[in-house]
Amino acid sequence: MKSPELKSQNRRALALLLLGLILALILMSLPLYRFNAAILTKKSSNTFVGDEKYQSVMAELETTAEEYRAQGFDVSINESVTERVNSKGETTSLITFTIDQVFSKNLFSFLTASLPAGHVFRLIFLCALLSALCAALGLVGSSDLLPRFLDGRARFLRSAAAVLALIALLLVPVFAMMNNFAFGRQLSLYGQELLTEGKEALYRKMDLFLFGGAAGENIGAALKGLSGRPSGMLCLLLPAFALMLLCAVQIRCGAIKSTLLRGLLYTFVVVMCIVVLYPYYVMLITAFRSNAETLDMYFLHMFPTRWIWSNLTDIIHRDVPRFLLNSIFVAGGATVLAMLCGIPAAYAMARMNFAGKKPFLGFVIMSQMFSPVVLLIGISQLMNTLHLNDSVVGLMLVNAAFNQAFAVWLLRGTFVAISPEMEQAALIDGCGTVSALIRVLLPMAAPGIVTTLIFVFINAWNEYTISTVLISTASNKPITVGITQFSSFNMIEWQYLFAASLLATIPVVILFMSIEKHLTAGLTSGGVKG
Amino acid sequence: MKKLLALMLALVMVFALAGPTAFADDEITLDVIICQYGPNTNDWFLGTGMDGTNFVAKFEAENPGIKLNLEVISWNDVHQVVDTRIANNNAPDILNIDTFSEFVPDGLLMPVKDYCPEELFGDFFPAFIAESVIDDTVWAVPDLASARALFYNVDILDEVGVDVPTTWAELEDVSQAILDFYDGEIYPWGIDMTTDEGQACFAYYAWGNGGGFTDENGDWALNSPENVEAVKFAVGLVEKGYTNPNPATQTRYDLQDMFAAGKLAMVIVPNQLPTYVADKGGEINMATAGIPAAEGKTSSSVGVMDRVMAFKDDSAPDQAARNEAIGKFLEFFYRPENYVGWVSMEGFLPAVNSAVEALVEADPSFEAWLDVLATCQFYPAAKAEWAQVRQGVTTVEQEALIGGDVQAGLDALQAAVTG
Amino acid sequence: MTVNAIQGKRKWEPYIWLLPSIVLIAIFVVFPILIVFKLSFSEISQGGVVGGFIGFQNYTEAVRLPAFKTVMLNTLWWVLSVVGLSTVLGFIVALVLNQKFRGRKIARSILVFPWATSLVIQASVWNYIIKYEYGSLNNVLLNLGIINQAINWRSSYTVEFIWECGVGIFVTVPFVAFCVLSGLQSIDGSLYEAATVDGAGFWDKLWNITLPLVRPSLTVSTVLNIIYVFNSFPIVYTMTKGAPAHKTDTMITYLYMLSFYERKKGPATALSVIGFLILCVCAGVYMMGVMRKEEEQ
Repeated sequence: MKSPELKSQNRRALALLLLGLILALILMSLPLYRFNAAILTKKSSNTFVGDEKYQSVMAELETTAEEYRAQGFDVSINESVTERVNSKGETTSLITFTIDQVFSKNLFSFLTASLPAGHVFRLIFLCALLSALCAALGLVGSSDLLPRFLDGRARFLRSAAAVLALIALLLVPVFAMMNNFAFGRQLSLYGQELLTEGKEALYRKMDLFLFGGAAGENIGAALKGLSGRPSGMLCLLLPAFALMLLCAVQIRCGAIKSTLLRGLLYTFVVVMCIVVLYPYYVMLITAFRSNAETLDMYFLHMFPTRWIWSNLTDIIHRDVPRFLLNSIFVAGGATVLAMLCGIPAAYAMARMNFAGKKPFLGFVIMSQMFSPVVLLIGISQLMNTLHLNDSVVGLMLVNAAFNQAFAVWLLRGTFVAISPEMEQAALIDGCGTVSALIRVLLPMAAPGIVTTLIFVFINAWNEYTISTVLISTASNKPITVGITQFSSFNMIEWQYLFAASLLATIPVVILFMSIEKHLTAGLTSGGVKG
Repeated sequence: MKKLLALMLALVMVFALAGPTAFADDEITLDVIICQYGPNTNDWFLGTGMDGTNFVAKFEAENPGIKLNLEVISWNDVHQVVDTRIANNNAPDILNIDTFSEFVPDGLLMPVKDYCPEELFGDFFPAFIAESVIDDTVWAVPDLASARALFYNVDILDEVGVDVPTTWAELEDVSQAILDFYDGEIYPWGIDMTTDEGQACFAYYAWGNGGGFTDENGDWALNSPENVEAVKFAVGLVEKGYTNPNPATQTRYDLQDMFAAGKLAMVIVPNQLPTYVADKGGEINMATAGIPAAEGKTSSSVGVMDRVMAFKDDSAPDQAARNEAIGKFLEFFYRPENYVGWVSMEGFLPAVNSAVEALVEADPSFEAWLDVLATCQFYPAAKAEWAQVRQGVTTVEQEALIGGDVQAGLDALQAAVTG
Repeated sequence: MTVNAIQGKRKWEPYIWLLPSIVLIAIFVVFPILIVFKLSFSEISQGGVVGGFIGFQNYTEAVRLPAFKTVMLNTLWWVLSVVGLSTVLGFIVALVLNQKFRGRKIARSILVFPWATSLVIQASVWNYIIKYEYGSLNNVLLNLGIINQAINWRSSYTVEFIWECGVGIFVTVPFVAFCVLSGLQSIDGSLYEAATVDGAGFWDKLWNITLPLVRPSLTVSTVLNIIYVFNSFPIVYTMTKGAPAHKTDTMITYLYMLSFYERKKGPATALSVIGFLILCVCAGVYMMGVMRKEEEQ
C-alpha cells in the first residue's frame, strides 16, 4: 500500500514543521524581554525643590547612584514633584526620586537561567527540537505508508512529535506567566517585605540572570522597583508551535480534522470543568484557612499556608451534622412524595384523553409562578392551621408541592416521547394499567425519571426562604438555614460558612453519582420511537 | 433507592410525631427572638457558651414555671421572620431587634411599665430610654449600644507626616497627602453607602454639618441645605478618589477588613473594631478621634442602639402571670452576672448602670467609650416613617454616586415622608 | 392510539390519576396564592398587620413607585439573558456530554456541582471571588502571573449586573444540560446512522433529528427557567442588594426591599401579583405556541 502522493504530502508537512521551528528559533533570538529597573524609589513629603530636606535627600541619592555606577550600571536620577494647595491656602509638595535603568534580554538567555521560568523555557526549547527530530525520523523509510500500516517505531516517533509540539505550545503561556509572576508579583512582595520565604535564593538567581552576578550585596536594592514585561512578539511563538503541531498531527494521523475535533471536545470539557470547579476550589481553600488568613488582602497565597483541619471539627460541634440529617429527611421525603404524586399525573397526561387536560397543565405551571418569598404569609398561616409549624414534615410537604410542576412536566415529556406500543401489548396480555406503567413504562423512562428525581431532590435540598420562617427550633433547621449562624452582625466566619457548604454539597453529588448510570442507560432495545 | 427513600420518609414521620407537642397548663411558654450579634451568640443562649451551660437552661432552672422557646436569628432574616409571624397573629412574646416604631401604631407592643420591674427600669440610662418613647409611653428598653468614632492607622498618618483631621477641609488635605504618598495603594478614607448602612453614612456627614434627619422640633428636615451639602461632600470624597472604590457595595465588614490589613488609613466604625482586628490577626497601631465636622460646626458622635420589646398576646389565659414572666426574663437578662458577660462577649456597650462598674473593671478602655456614648446622637427610630427615611437617604446617596441630583432626591424624600 | 382508546369505558379514571397531584398543589400552593391575592387588596400596616379591603390602592401605589420602570427593565434583561444564554450553553454542554469520551462520567458528575449547592452559597462564593481587595479571582490571576495589578471587577453597576447574570447562568446551565441530556438519551442511534448514509452533515442532523426530538425537554426547561429565573432572589440580594439605588434590582428583590426595608408591604404584595400576571401571560403564550406545534406534529 505505497502511495507516492502520500510521500510528497508528508514531505510538505515536514518542511512546514521545520519552518515553524525556524520561526520559533528566530523569535527566541530577539530581545523580547524588557526590564525596567526603578532601582531606588524615595518619597519625601513636605519637601520643596531646592530646600534643605531636598538637598539632603539628593545628596544621599547621589552617593547611592555613584555606588551603582561604580559597579558598571548605567543609572540616572529622576524626580517628580506633586505640588498641591491645601484648604488653608498652604502649598504642600511631595517629591518622588527614582534611580532608573532600562535593559532587555532575548529568550535564549533563559536557557542558562536557573530561574523557575528558565526550566520551563529549556523544556519548550527541547520539546520543539525533539518534535522536529522525531517527525523527521518517523518519516524515514515509511513516508509513503498510510498511518494504519506503520510499524511500531514509526508510529511511536510520529506520535511523540505531535505530543512534544503540543507540550511546547502549551508551555509558552506558562513561561510568560512565570516570568510575569517572578518579575512582577514576587519582587514587589519581597520588596514590601510581605513575603520573605525563598527571597535570598531567588535574589541570587536573578542577580546571575540579570547582572551576571555583578550586583552581589546590592541585589536587594537593585531589584526594588524592577519590572519585566514581555513584548507582544512573544505571542508569535504560539502560531509557530501551532504550525508544528498541525504538521505533526498530519504526519501522524493523515486526517487532521477528526483529530482536531476530538482535541476540541477535550478542550471544551476541560475548560468547562475548570470553570465549574473554580468556586469549589475557592470554598475548599477558604474552608481550611484560619480566620486571619481568610482575607488575603495582598494576595499572598493561592493555598492555605497551614491547613486548619480543626475547622471541620468546629462546625461539627456547631450542629452541622444535625442540620444535614434534617435536610436529608426533608429532601428525601419531598422527593418520594413528589414522585408518588407526579408519576400518575404525568402518566394520565401522556396516555389518556380527557376533558381538562390543558387546564390541568396550566394549573400546574401556575402553581410555580409566585416566588416563595411572596407566599410566606400564606404558607405559614396554613402551617399554623395544620399544626405543622416548626416541623420537618411540614417542610417536606411544602417542598413536594412546590416541585410538582417540574415533576409532572418533565415526566410527561419523557412519557410522550416513548411510544405506547409496548404498554398496549402488555395491556392486551392482560396486565392492568398500573402494572403496565410500573413494569413497562417506568424502566423505559429511566433517564427522565432520574433527571426528575435529582431535580426535585436538589430543589428541596437548597430551599431556604420557607425554612427560615417555618422552622424555629434550632434542632429542626435544615442545613441551608443552619449555616446562617456563621454570618452574624459582627463577623462573617468565611471558613466555617464554606466548610459547611462543602459538606452540604457532598450528599447531593453522591446521590447523583449513584444513580448516574440510569441517566446514561437510555431506552432498552426494542422500544420503537415515535 | 426507592425503598431507602421510603424508609427515610417513615423515619421523618416518627421524628416529627415524637417531637414535643404537648405542654402543661400551669407552665408559661415565652417565645423569644434574639438577633445574632456575634459568632458566639447562639452558643451563649442555647449551647454551652455560658460557662458550660447556657442562658435558657440557667433561666429555666431558676424559674420552673416558665419555659423559654428562644430562637437566635440572623440579622438578614429577622425582619422577614417577625413580620410573617405578626401577619399570622403569631408574634413572639419577646423580641430583640433594632427598630420598634413600626409595631406601635398597630397596638402590637405592650408599654414597658406593664412588665418591667421598677428597679430594673431605673437602672437603664435615661438618655437611652428617651429614644424609645412615643406619645409619652416607653415601648421598648435598650439591650445594648455601640458608639461610632473615627479610627485611624497611626503608622500611616505618621509616615505621611500628617495629623488626624478634625474638619472636612483637613480631611481632604490629609486624604490627598495619603493618596499621593502611597500612589493609591492605600485608601485614605473609608465610606460605606451600602443598602444596609447608608443611614449611618448620612448621619456622619449631616450631623457633622449641623444638619440631620430632624429639625429642633423633631420634625423631618431631610432636605435642609446642610444635608444636601453633607451628601455632596461625602460623594465628592468618593469622586476625588479618596475612598474605597465601590462604596455602594463595600460593606462595613469590607472596610474593617481593609483597615485590619493596613490598606485603609481612616474609617468611621463602631467601637468593636479593635476586637475585630485582633480576631483577623491584624496588628494595626490604631487610635480614635472625633468624627470630622464641617468648618465651624461641632463634631457629633453617632450611637446605635438595639432594643428589647414585648408583644401583646390577648390569648394568654393569665395576663398578669405572663407579664410577670416577661419581667423575670428581663430581670434575669440584665442581672450583672449574666449581662456583663454577654455585652463583653459581643463587644458592645452596656445600657444599664449596674453593668458599668464590672465592665470598666474588666477593660479600662471602656471608660472612654462610655464618655463618648454619653454625647452620642441616635437615629430618630421612634418616628413612624423611620424605615422609609432610612432607605430613602441611602437611595439618595447611591443615586448621587452615579450622578444623581442630591437636592431633588432629598426634596422628593421629604415630600414622601411628610406629605 | 391511547390507552384510553383500549379501555374505553371508565371516563373518570384519568382524574383519579391526577388526584394526588392536584390535592398536594391545591393545599400547599394554591391556598397561599389565594392569600397573596387577598392581601394585595388589603391594607397592610408597617408592622405587618393585615387590615381591611382597600381596592386597587396598593396597585396604583406600586405602579407609581419611582424605581418601578428601572426594576421592570432590569427584570426583563435578567430573564432574557439568563434564560437565553443558559439554554444555548446548556444545549451545547449536553451535546458534548452525550459524546462518548474518556472521563465522561466524571465530567457529568462535576457538572452537577453548581446545581447541588444552594443559591445563597453560590452567590456568597462569587461575591467573595470578585472582591477587588481580596477576591480569589485577583489572587489566582496575580499568582499565576496573568495580570500584574489587581483589577476592580465590579467597577460600575452595569458590570455588577453582568456578574449577577453570569452567576445566574452558571447555576442554570446544569439544569438545562441535564434536561436536554435526558432527551438526547432517548434518541435512537440508528436515526443518525441512516442520516449519515443519506449524506447528511453535522448541522443537518442537528436541525432535523436532534432538535425536534429534544424539543419537549427544551420546552419544559425553558418554561420553568423563565419562572425560576424571574423569581430568583438570592443572587441579586447577596451580591448587591440592588445597589446603587435599585439599578441592579430585579422585581423580586425590589419587592423584598419594599416589604422588609421600606415596610411598604401593600405595594410589595401588589407588585408580586403584577409579576405573577406578567409570568402568566409570557409562559401562557409560549406554552400555547409550543403545544400547538406539538399537536401539528
